[in-house]
Amino acid sequence: MSDTCTVLKLGQIVPDFELTTYDPVKGDFGKFSLRDQIARERWCILFFYPADFTFV
Amino acid sequence: MGCDIVTVSTDTQFSHLAWQRSEKELANVKYQMGADPTGKVSRMFGVYDEDTGLDLRGTFIINPEGKLLNTEMNFYNLGRNIDEMMRKFKANIYMSKKTNEVCPSKWKDEGDKTLVDPGAKMVGKVHEALNT
Repeated sequence: MSDTCTVLKLGQIVPDFELTTYDPVKGDFGKFSLRDQIARERWCILFFYPADFTFV
Repeated sequence: MGCDIVTVSTDTQFSHLAWQRSEKELANVKYQMGADPTGKVSRMFGVYDEDTGLDLRGTFIINPEGKLLNTEMNFYNLGRNIDEMMRKFKANIYMSKKTNEVCPSKWKDEGDKTLVDPGAKMVGKVHEALNT
């Protein structure tokens, strides 16, 4: 399997996905889902990084 | 128009909590920190490194319809330029409101020069269009 080949193409509708989150504002765990974002008509920026406790 | 920033790594939400609470640089973090320990979402976006189980530095802008409009990916050793990310984000929002305009490379913010209705009449005349 290719390591870094981007599966998604620009301009395409991203398939729905969900992430468990830590929300520092609430100090609690939560959920993020693309479906919710679309329902609430909000933009989103996903920012991937290698690992916690490193130099981002 | 609202926007949510979500950071994602293959760490768990428990790790995110511990890191955010212990690292002073993260004291003012307002965004959600997404956990993708299985790499499922990371694989979908093509940022998952199978050899290390870590994510590469990928940024993705998705509009309110769920459409992917921008992607940028850096290897581990190069950090991202937040100004450039914000420029792209602002440009995408601007063009979603002014759908007959495009933002050239030097565009930074609302009020900067755009190209309006780029079409046949602009072929070979981009210099004039940018400088009038």
